[in-house]
Formats: sequence, structure tokens, C-alpha cells
Amino acid sequence: MELRGITKRFPGVVANHDIDITVHRGTVHALVGENGAGKSTLMKILYGMQKPDEGTITIDGEQVSFHSPADAIARNIGMVHQHFMLADNLTVLENVVLGGEKLHGISGRARAEIIKISERYGLGVRPDVLVEDLGVADRQRVEILKVLYRGARTLILDEPTAVLVPQEVDALFDNLRELKAEGLTVIFISHKLGEVLSVADDITVIRRGTTVGSVVPSETTPKQLAELMVGTELPSPETRESTVTDVEMLKVEGLRLTSADAEGVERTVLDDVSLTIHKGEVLGIAGVEGNGQAELVEAIMGMRDPDGGVITLDGIDISHLPTRTRREDGIGYIPEDRHRHGLLLEAPLWENRILGHVTEKPNAKGRLLDLKAARVDTERIVREYDVRTPGIEVTAASLSGGNQQKLIVGREMSHHPKLLIAAHPTRGVDVGAQAQIWDQIREARHEGLAVLLISADLDELIGLSDTLRVMYRGRLVADADPATITPEELGSAMTGAATGHLAASDNGSAAGPTSEEGESE
Amino acid sequence: MRRVSKIVAAGIATAALTLSLSACGESSTESGGKDKGVGLAFDVGGRDDHSFNEAAARGVDKAEKDLGVQSKLMTAKNGETEADREQRLSSLAEAGYNPVIGVGFNYGKSVNKVAKDFPDTTFGVVDSPSEVKNVYGMVFAEHEGSYLAGVAAALKSKTHKVGFIGGVNNALIQKFQAGFEQGVKDTDPKAKVTSEYLYANDDKGFNDPAAAKGKAKGMLDGGIDVIYTAAGQSGNGSIETVAGKKGTWAIGVDSDQYLQPGLAQYKSSILTSVMKNVDVAVYDLVKSVHDKKPLTGNKAYTLKDNGVRLSTSGGFIDDIQAKIDAAKKKIASGDVKVSDTPAKQ
Amino acid sequence: MKKFARFDKNKLILGIAAPVLAIVAALLITSVIILATGKDPLYAYSVMVDFGSKSDSQVWIINKAVPYYLSAVAVAIGFRMNLFNIGVDGQYRIAAFFAAVVGGALTLPGFLQIPIIIIVAMLVGSVWAGIAGLLKTTRGVSEVITTIMLNAIAAAVIGYFLQEGRLAKKDGNLFHTPNLPGSSHFFTIPTMPKPLDGFLVIAVVVGFAYWFVLNRTRFGFDLRTVGQSESAAEAGGVNVKRMIVTSMLLSGAAAGLIGMPTLLGVSYNYGTDFPVGIGFTGIAIALLGRNHPIGMAAGALLWGFLERTGTQLEFEEYEQEIVGVMQGVIVLCVVIAYELVRRYGLRLQQRKVGEELAAQARKTEKAEVSS
Repeated sequence: MELRGITKRFPGVVANHDIDITVHRGTVHALVGENGAGKSTLMKILYGMQKPDEGTITIDGEQVSFHSPADAIARNIGMVHQHFMLADNLTVLENVVLGGEKLHGISGRARAEIIKISERYGLGVRPDVLVEDLGVADRQRVEILKVLYRGARTLILDEPTAVLVPQEVDALFDNLRELKAEGLTVIFISHKLGEVLSVADDITVIRRGTTVGSVVPSETTPKQLAELMVGTELPSPETRESTVTDVEMLKVEGLRLTSADAEGVERTVLDDVSLTIHKGEVLGIAGVEGNGQAELVEAIMGMRDPDGGVITLDGIDISHLPTRTRREDGIGYIPEDRHRHGLLLEAPLWENRILGHVTEKPNAKGRLLDLKAARVDTERIVREYDVRTPGIEVTAASLSGGNQQKLIVGREMSHHPKLLIAAHPTRGVDVGAQAQIWDQIREARHEGLAVLLISADLDELIGLSDTLRVMYRGRLVADADPATITPEELGSAMTGAATGHLAASDNGSAAGPTSEEGESE
Repeated sequence: MRRVSKIVAAGIATAALTLSLSACGESSTESGGKDKGVGLAFDVGGRDDHSFNEAAARGVDKAEKDLGVQSKLMTAKNGETEADREQRLSSLAEAGYNPVIGVGFNYGKSVNKVAKDFPDTTFGVVDSPSEVKNVYGMVFAEHEGSYLAGVAAALKSKTHKVGFIGGVNNALIQKFQAGFEQGVKDTDPKAKVTSEYLYANDDKGFNDPAAAKGKAKGMLDGGIDVIYTAAGQSGNGSIETVAGKKGTWAIGVDSDQYLQPGLAQYKSSILTSVMKNVDVAVYDLVKSVHDKKPLTGNKAYTLKDNGVRLSTSGGFIDDIQAKIDAAKKKIASGDVKVSDTPAKQ
Repeated sequence: MKKFARFDKNKLILGIAAPVLAIVAALLITSVIILATGKDPLYAYSVMVDFGSKSDSQVWIINKAVPYYLSAVAVAIGFRMNLFNIGVDGQYRIAAFFAAVVGGALTLPGFLQIPIIIIVAMLVGSVWAGIAGLLKTTRGVSEVITTIMLNAIAAAVIGYFLQEGRLAKKDGNLFHTPNLPGSSHFFTIPTMPKPLDGFLVIAVVVGFAYWFVLNRTRFGFDLRTVGQSESAAEAGGVNVKRMIVTSMLLSGAAAGLIGMPTLLGVSYNYGTDFPVGIGFTGIAIALLGRNHPIGMAAGALLWGFLERTGTQLEFEEYEQEIVGVMQGVIVLCVVIAYELVRRYGLRLQQRKVGEELAAQARKTEKAEVSS
């Protein structure tokens, strides 16, 4: 399979441009890149969910054009989504045949086919178990089987390891090697370098929407790969003159939170979390996604009521106050998912400027809205924060991600927060906007703002933070000094491999797991 | 944009208002002719309900044939308001129909109101008394007819369980229930009567055969073997269900339902029907207007003068006719007083 | 400023396009149906326009539209929150019933009696709707299910009490609550030949209040926010659960007004002949009017127009069901047309924004090059 010059534009932003990839039959090909680098768009193009504006896709020497996933399936391309698409209350067999009833019927023949596929690739799928009784890894194998059942010879796996624990990752990689041995092609999307190096035959790196290089794992190191991924032009983190004061702004003590997961099992998502952020301090939290960062943010914002512990903001106990009061008391919030939590997509920009601050000036006068003042202030934000838009009456949905984010940052900063919670503030944002947002956070910090920064971008974390903590399975397991720590060391602590204070070291144990994975290839 | 659309919207609204106020010149009442014949407004279910409305329609048919008058028939929809009914009656009156007859107690108020606007037209209303001078109120002793149905049901039931299904739980249908229950009890004291209604207060009860089917099914399953349904068009559903089970009887209402072509396939299960001679009443009124001696005031059509009666088509009650006649005599003579409200349980 | 003007013009055209598209489509479909019954559609329309524009027709239509409008507002309050209050029908009926009971039992001067009756109706309506709101927030039961159930319960409750010896008395073949005293008859606006219902004024006030609260107050903003994105509202500090209960209470209070024009202006009691089904008509009109106060007014008037002229169509030997078909077709066409136009507009806007920005970028690039 070959992709040449693939370009995809979205309103105001180019998601992919000049993508060139060659995938050889019978290989595991990894696509790596940071969050927001354009991997998911590329994948949607490959699977027929979106049409490229320019460029060609060639399969076995024949140029193709996909209008829908059905076209891709007809070409024996299958996709395993990051979020499983299985019906819990049906059996594995029923899930597999659902929508593919014509292939092998729905009973005897289908069961035989499932068992055959399962044995051939060592998937160990039992056809008559209810999906709701399966664990995450088993579900993933059902998804893979579902795709194979439909005759796929090329599999696209979207961040398949994001939901797995290390042992499960190993088992998955064994499955992938089986598939490869049978002559199937696997396109594997990830941003975890160690994994990629251990399983891929070829690696293509995507950065800022385009392919920046192809490497062979045996000839590369994680460090080289990381440099390719992040790029050398990355604005470097020189905010070293400390602005940290002694004044405690946010203090979290012994915070506990339980929540029912998708299966209805009560799980502890925050376990005895304690941290303190001072005025003028940026505290960064590193961690693999899904280890409790989102829940921590929601507990501080008041969107979830903690089961134990105390949250103090500027000397006031806010543990159980409503979200609105906390916002009025000076918490600014840049949410992780701006479409779900930060914007009203179909509302005009000036209404989005009111969102979250409806009780505050200049948006309200008493119990009434002050539309005129809100509009004027929106104009100001658009100007000062360089939101690229033709006007404030357009809907938020018509702005590019970076401009949406600049609007949110502008809105939150306009209320002079005491504490800013910034969850992945530059995710899916173009380079220019990224640098601006960083500058704004630094500037505010300089003026005494306390910042809780959560990010998957380790350079961002290290670059902006005054203090670093590592979150793993709902606990803060390690801390580090951003002045001395490297992304590799931080990355290993994120997998739970290292705890306590991560001392700076050139070849310390903390970097161990990453390099081990590299060596195992 | 918002502002612009608001301005446009406001403009449209103003224009509409101006239009509505400025067009005051002409009113629809200023057109129409005279003496077009009889105008009849049906209750929900319409002419072909095989029951109540159809009885009224027969009266009009007869008048057309015998007196050579024209007619205009209109039908009510579900969920109507007074305004809808008033409009229907006014339209008929305006167009020059005379008499104008509302079929069903729902027309009680609207007939009274419209009649005052058209003093030269004679109005009639079935099932509702009226105090307006140009209105002829036709009310029926449904409870007396139903009493006889109760007698027949009690004599025919083998399980000693009989059922009553009413379309809507209102005062009119309660008369049917009351008479039926009393008739059963007086004939067979150990018989059990189950009375149920399709709707508490929604005139949909008169044209929802599916609901009646369900109710009848439930009653049959409970061992009831004679079901009397007073629910207009809905009754068809009940009759159909009863016909599906051997050895059970349905009792019809308003028209002689044994003779209804639409119900022909079920007729061997229709024991008898409590006939309200709405056709006679309607014909009387049309004829009186035709003869230039319009009837006014209220007239009660009772068992005594055959205003209500039990049909004998099919001959299924021939064997018990003597007992029914005896009961009828007692009511006519006043020995038995039939209550028009159900006994409280 | 020029830029804005261009956006406005587009939006204006789009805004008019939707209803025009819908009405044209609805007329076409209805014409085909009338033709299929072997009648002349054009004559039908001319009969409707002719009869509908008569002065007494206009009064009739406006009076008929008043409860429809109130019903549409009650439904729209829920719609703006993404709540589907199907129970408006049960709410207004039970509200009118208890208001009639209270009104029939009191004899106070009108300036006290009428407000008391209206307030009782609003309270009962909001309690009835509030039950659904509470069940949704505490037990997670869909308001669609509960409001439908509550409709049935309301009918049963009314059926139970609307019997002789309970709260009603018998009048001929009807049961109804005791008549309201003359002091509680609502005023009318004298027009020829029949007067306009004074409740028109209340409907206008309600429509304005609906617009003002939603668009000009903090509370309204919160409410709309929840309707657009529950997650964003929550993150923005709106107490979503309380908002659900509050909006159900408001919706129910508005629903309580629906029966008032009939109770205070026509029947003066709640009887077995009290109109039913206006709550469902309100859903259609709210859809038709896109929850906009003026759009819904137009929708309510259109509905009244169709019903007024429908009877006349029956007079002209058309099937009376034609009007029902028309109403259904219009709602369907409007919903489809608005959705199509909305999507097209969104795409158009995104493309425009993209173009504008690209143009800006080119200009600045050129400036940099030349400098």
C-alpha cells in the first residue's frame, strides 16, 4: 500500500499535507507522532471515513478511492478502533456476525469460522461468552477477530495499547506477530516509542500533519525517534528564573474518589492524592492517560464530589462547593476535551465567551446578561489573544482547533484566576498557537498565578513546570525536578516502573525500562 | 444575524396583525342560501360507525327518501373544542340548512350557543336536553333499554358472569351501565357484572376499536360469556373479539347491529342490540321542519313508547322473549324503576 | 463591518429558505394527495384562503391559536433544555381541573379570583411536570417515559374525581365541576362580529417572557447551555440536575395556562367535554416554530387557520382528513427543511471562515514580502 501526497484541509487548518507512506505486505508498520500530529485524520482517510483533498492511495499497484468504510472493507482493509464497538449484552459470536450475516451465516458455520480464525492467529476467543464478561484485552481480540472475519488482510490498529497493562501489551504484540507471519499487514498507530520499537518492522513519523521521516527500528534509538517526533524547532523550555512564592494557593490533602466504571464495578480512581501549588508555581502532572488525571481535575473543579480529603483554595475549604462558586472564587479551567467541556460548538463566539462565567462581569449585570459588554469583551479577546476569526458572530465550530483553544485561554485568563487548571492546553493546536498559549501561561505565572498543568506532551510538562509529579493508577507515585529530568526518565516513571523522587542521572535506573524495550527488539 | 431575523420576524408579525385587523369588512356569515335541507353533525366515528351515528344517518336517509329533502353530513374529529363544534354548526346554519342537528351530547353546549345566533333555524341535539327555544333536545331512556339487555344477558349466561364495556366514563354511558347492572341483578341475583370503561374522559373511547378488543379479550379470559358494549364505533372491536370465542354473546348498541353489513361476519354472535331510535327522533324533527311545524323543547324517548327497545334479529332471544316482555311491562307500568346512575360499589 | 453584513445576508437568505422550502414541499405533497382522491387541489387552496381571511375566521383562528401557543411555549421550554416533555397534555388537563375545582368553590371578586385560579393551575401543572423532573434527576428515568405515564395517571385522576358526589355534578349527560362565579369570567377584546379572547394578552406576555428569560437573563443562558451541551454546562458551573427540575417546573407552569382560556372564557367549568390533546398539538407547533417565540406564534396561527378552513373543505366535499394530512406533512417538511438548511449553513460558514482566514494570511504574507 502506498500513500502519496495526501493532503486534507479542515476549515482554517490543514490536518494532513504531503503525506507519503509505503507499507509493505506482511509487515507491521508503525505510524508514530504526538497527539494532534494528524495520525487520526490520516487513519480515517485510509479507512474511507474521510476523503483526502489531494493525493493518491495505491493498493497493490492499483490506484483506489474510498468513499466509505465499506469501500475499504471491500479492499480487505479493516480497522480496530481505540474505543471498542461491541454490544455488551451479546455473545462474542453474535458480535462478530452482527452486520456480517451474509458471510458465514449466523450459527454453525460462523462458529466454526470464528474458531478457525482464533486458532490460526492464537487469539483464544471463545465464541459463546457474553462480551460483558470479558476484560479489555479479550474485547480487543474480539475486535481484531471481527475484522479478520470480514476478510481483512490489512489491519489498522488505532492506539491499541492505550487501554492495556504491560502484560496485555506483550500478548497483543504476540498476536500481531502471528498475523504478520500469516502474511497479513498491520498498520499500528501509537505515540509510545518503546512499544513501537519492539514490534514494528518499519516506522513512519508524523509531525504537524506531515511525514517527517521513515526509520527502521534496528537502526534507531528511542531518543532519535523522540527527536523526530517532537522536532528540533520545538520551543525550548527556558523559564528558569523561578517565580514560585511561599503562599499556598491550592492545597489538596488525602483526596479520594471512587467511581463505577463501564462494567459497573466500583473502582478507586483517586487514592490519597495530596499536593500543594503556590502562587506563581506551575505544577505539572505526568502520567499515561486514564490514571486519574481527569478525575483529579474534575474533583478540583467540583464536577465530581470527592469521597474523602480536603481541597483548599486560597485558605478556603472548597471540597464540596458547587462548580460555579469555585469558578467565581478564581479557578480558571482549560479543559482536556474542549468540544465537550469548553465550548458550545453551535453558538456564536460571544456566547462562548459567556460560558462558564455567566455570573461574572462583564457578562452579567445583576441577574441579567449584559450582551453588549460581552460582545465588546469578546472582540477584545479575539484581538488580544489573536483568535483568527472573521467576526464574533460565527459559531465556535467553524474555528480551527488552535483558535478555539486561544478563545478558551483568553476567556479564562480574562477573569484573572488565582488558579488555572490547564489540561492538555496545546493538544491538537498548531505550532503558532502552541507557543502563544505557553507564553500566556508563563506570563500569568509571573504575575502570581498558580497552575495545575496536565499534559501528555512531556516536553511541554518539563518546559513549563516548576514542580513535577507523576500519577499512576490514581496515586501520585513520584516527583521530579524539571530542571534535571529527561522525557525518557519521566516516561518510565509513568509506567509505574519508578517511584519516589526521581533523581537526575545520566544513566539512572529510571531510564531502564525504556531502554530495555529498545534492546529487546 | 439574530437582530436581522428578529426585525424580519417582527415585520411579519406586524403585517399579519394589520392584515387581520384590516380585513374586518367581510364576515363569512354574509354568504349562504336558504332551505338547503337537513344539516347533520356527527360525533366522532362518523356515519359508518355501525352504531350511534349510523342510527342518526338512517333517519336522514329516510327523510331524503320520504320527504325529498337534501342533506349535508359532517363529522367531528378527536380532541375537538367547543370552537370546532360551534364552527361546524354555524357553517351548516349559514349555508342555509334547516334543521341543523348535532348528534351526541358533546354538541349540547354548542347547539345552544349557535342556536341563539340563528333564531330562524331549528336545531336539534341528540342525547342532550336544551332550554333554548329553537332547539329540540332528544334524550333517550338508555337505562331502560339496557335493563332489558341485562335481563337477556343474565338469562343467557352460563358462567353467571357478564360484562359491560363503556366507551367513556361519562354520565351518558353510566346510564347504560346502571340499567344493565340492575337488569342482571334483578334477573339472576348471583350473577356477577364486571363494568369497565375504555377511557376515563377522552372521546377517543368512541372510536378506538382496538382498545375495546383488549378489554373484551380480558373479560372473556376471565370467564365472562356475555358482553354488552356501549362505545359507539369502538364496540365493533368488542363484537369481533366475542365472535372469536364459541359460546359467548355480544350485545350491541344504538343500531340493530345484527343487521349491519359491516358486522355481518360476526352476526351469529350478536345476541341482541339495545336500540336507541335516534333515527326516529331525527326523522321526526326533519319532518316537523319540512311541515313548517318545527318541534322544540325536549323529548324523552323511553321504553314505554318504543324510543328504546331490544332488537330481535337473528332470533337468539326468542326463547326468552316472554321474560323480557314481562320486564318491559313492569318498567312501563312503573313497577320497576330503573336507576340512571350506577350503584356505588 | 462589511464582513458582518455579508454574513448577515447569507443567514437571512438561509433563514427564509427553510420555511419557504418547507411550505412549497408541503403544498406539493398535499396537492398530490388531493389529486389522488380525485379532487382539485387549487380550488381547495382558494377555498381555504378565501374562507380563512373572513373577519370572523380571523377571530376564530386567533382565539384557537392562543391555547396552542401557550402549549407550544410549554413544550419549547423543555426542548431548549433537550427535555422532551410529552406530558404537557396531562399537565394542562389536571391543572385546569383543579383550578376549576378551586374556582368553583370560591366566590371572590374577579381581581382576586382570576389570579387565584391561574396560580392554582400553574402550581398544579408544575407539580405534575416536576414529578417527571425529580424522577429523572434522582432515578435517571427518561422524562419521555414518565411524562407519558403521568398523562395516563392525570386522565385517571380526573376521571375518578369527575363523578357525581365527588368533585363534579351532573348536568344532562355531562359531568362537570361547579360553574365558576361570574366574577371569574376573563375579559374579552371587542371585535366584530365575535370578540377576541382576552387571554391573547396573556399569551403575548408569556411569549415575551419566554424570549426575555431565555435570551437576556443568566438563568436563560444556563438553561440554553444545558440544552446545547450538558457536559459544557456542567464544566461551566451549571447545576444540571437542578436545571432539569427547574425547567420541568417552568414547563409545567406554562402548561397550566393552556386550559385557562377555555376555563375562564368559554366553559367556566371542567367537564367531560373539556378539550383534550392540545399538549400534543403544542409539540407540533414548537417544532414548527423552532422554539422561537415568533415562529411558534406563526405556527399556532397556521394551525388555527388549517382547522378553521378544514371544516370548510369538508363542506366543499373534500375529505376532512386532508387537513390532518396537511398538518403532518407541514411539520415533517419544516423539520427536514430546517435540518438541511442548518447543515448547509454550517458548512457554508466553515468554508467562509476558512476562506476569509486564508485571504487574511495571504495579505499579511504579501505585506511581509513587500516590506
